[in-house]
Amino acid sequence: MKKTHFSIFMLFLAFILLITDPLSPKEFPQFKQPVLITSAGQSAEVQLASVLAKRAGLNYSLSKTATSRDLADVKTIALVIGTSLKGLGAAGLDMSQENERVSSLIKATQQFNIPILCLHLGGEQRRGTLSDQMIKTVLPFAQHVIVVKSGNKDGLFTEICNTHSIPLIEVERAADALEPLKNAFL
Amino acid sequence: MLKIKRHLIFGSVFLLGAMALGYFSGKSFMSMHIDDHIFPSSGLTENKMLSEYFPKLKKTPGDTPVFIFQGEQPGRNILILGGAHPNEPAGTIAAILLVENIHVQAGKVIIIPWANHSGFTHNDPQEGSPQRFSIRTQDGQRWFKYGSRLTNPIHQWPDPTVYINPSGQKLAGTECRNLNRSYPGRRNGNLTEKIAFGIMEVLISENIDLALDLHEAAPEYPVINAIVFHESSAEIASIAFMELQLSNLEFRLEASPPNLRGLSHREWGDFAKVKAVLLETANVSHGRLKGKPSASLITEGRDKNYVKADKLGRLFVPFKEEGIPLKLRVARHLASIEALISALQEEDPTKIFAIHGLPSMERVKIEGIGQFLAPPK
Repeated sequence: MKKTHFSIFMLFLAFILLITDPLSPKEFPQFKQPVLITSAGQSAEVQLASVLAKRAGLNYSLSKTATSRDLADVKTIALVIGTSLKGLGAAGLDMSQENERVSSLIKATQQFNIPILCLHLGGEQRRGTLSDQMIKTVLPFAQHVIVVKSGNKDGLFTEICNTHSIPLIEVERAADALEPLKNAFL
Repeated sequence: MLKIKRHLIFGSVFLLGAMALGYFSGKSFMSMHIDDHIFPSSGLTENKMLSEYFPKLKKTPGDTPVFIFQGEQPGRNILILGGAHPNEPAGTIAAILLVENIHVQAGKVIIIPWANHSGFTHNDPQEGSPQRFSIRTQDGQRWFKYGSRLTNPIHQWPDPTVYINPSGQKLAGTECRNLNRSYPGRRNGNLTEKIAFGIMEVLISENIDLALDLHEAAPEYPVINAIVFHESSAEIASIAFMELQLSNLEFRLEASPPNLRGLSHREWGDFAKVKAVLLETANVSHGRLKGKPSASLITEGRDKNYVKADKLGRLFVPFKEEGIPLKLRVARHLASIEALISALQEEDPTKIFAIHGLPSMERVKIEGIGQFLAPPK
């Protein structure tokens, strides 16, 4: 009798743990290396992602204007979202060219089954019409999203991630994205 | 007869009055040509002039002091430039604060607080800007000139209709007097281009690793509270950005556009192959929305128009009733300098750099700038 009670209790405990542990690692996809870090909008935060990847000890390469030709041997794409007109100018692109590049890159990743990890590290300052347009275009294709909290004040990331069942992690500052980034890779 | 006498007396008084007015306003105007005092710390190893790097500047209004702090051990070499735009005082004061406080043990720090020396001899016409502002030290007030963004037209005139800078960029004519559009300078160019050329000579001959250009901008300008970096300094700028965020300082990280020529963060990196970074803080006395220009607007940084503009969402930095005082702007520059130096160390720990006496951001914010400035002598 006691044994039955104990078993029921253990089963109940397992059930509770299962439904109340939203941050269980198995809910987050695990990405493979090497990872290609690229920008979606040409903001300078792509450099932050590169420093974070270096600190996380990842096998990565950085190409701000990556295209499908850069995908050979790549196992994961880290898309750093954020639109900067200065950055676009520096890359010699306009908004429509950047949209086209990002869209064809996403198309290629789907073709080659390369998962996408999205990062938004610029916070509230890297929101606005152009950035929001990019977020709405790119985010639904992500397998995992890491966002600096102030950038999700209005819940845009939460809304898109909920709609498309994408695991989302919010961090206070860009530097805090290091741990979730490290944990995201095998 | 009596009428003529009266006219003579009145005329003489009027003439004397006009002469007195001319004398005092002339004296005030000419006082801008007298340099402020800087009292270097005992860590100063050499005090040069820019003309020692580029002799064509000798005996010109563009010649300016270069303060060198050489450590006993070799290491990283850093250049800090203030006053490229003399109406952006946080950069100048941060540079002066460093000259008056630091000691370098390993490596070298070179500081040029009045990069555009000529720009400190006048201020912008029709702006109503004060000639000077003061900072209270432990023993008396120190006065500092508030100059113009541009070289004095007395020293460089006339402006062309269209200015083609040394990198081939076409700009408005007045920009020929803007030091931060004139890099890498011209050996036989106008005065501003010669100053730019002289600074390039410092960067090259002193083997500078990291060069920082300290600026300010109006709160309605998008590149504000910003770290603008040349691609060669992308990593250190990113590390510094994250470091500053951990100290609760929000910055914008901006890459230097390769097609925007003539600016320090572009040409220093391209021509002198140094890691070039430009830092911006928010200064209301610089802005178009400000109320009456005054010395206190420069130092206290409070303005009700900007509070209103912030409420309307028109600014790129938060602006509340307490304003953005000079001590906070200088503290931000100092924190950024510290973070960039530390990032440089992280990037390559084999090359050493050791500096002491750099006033901390927290102390400057709490105790004020005056605590770290020598009293007037």
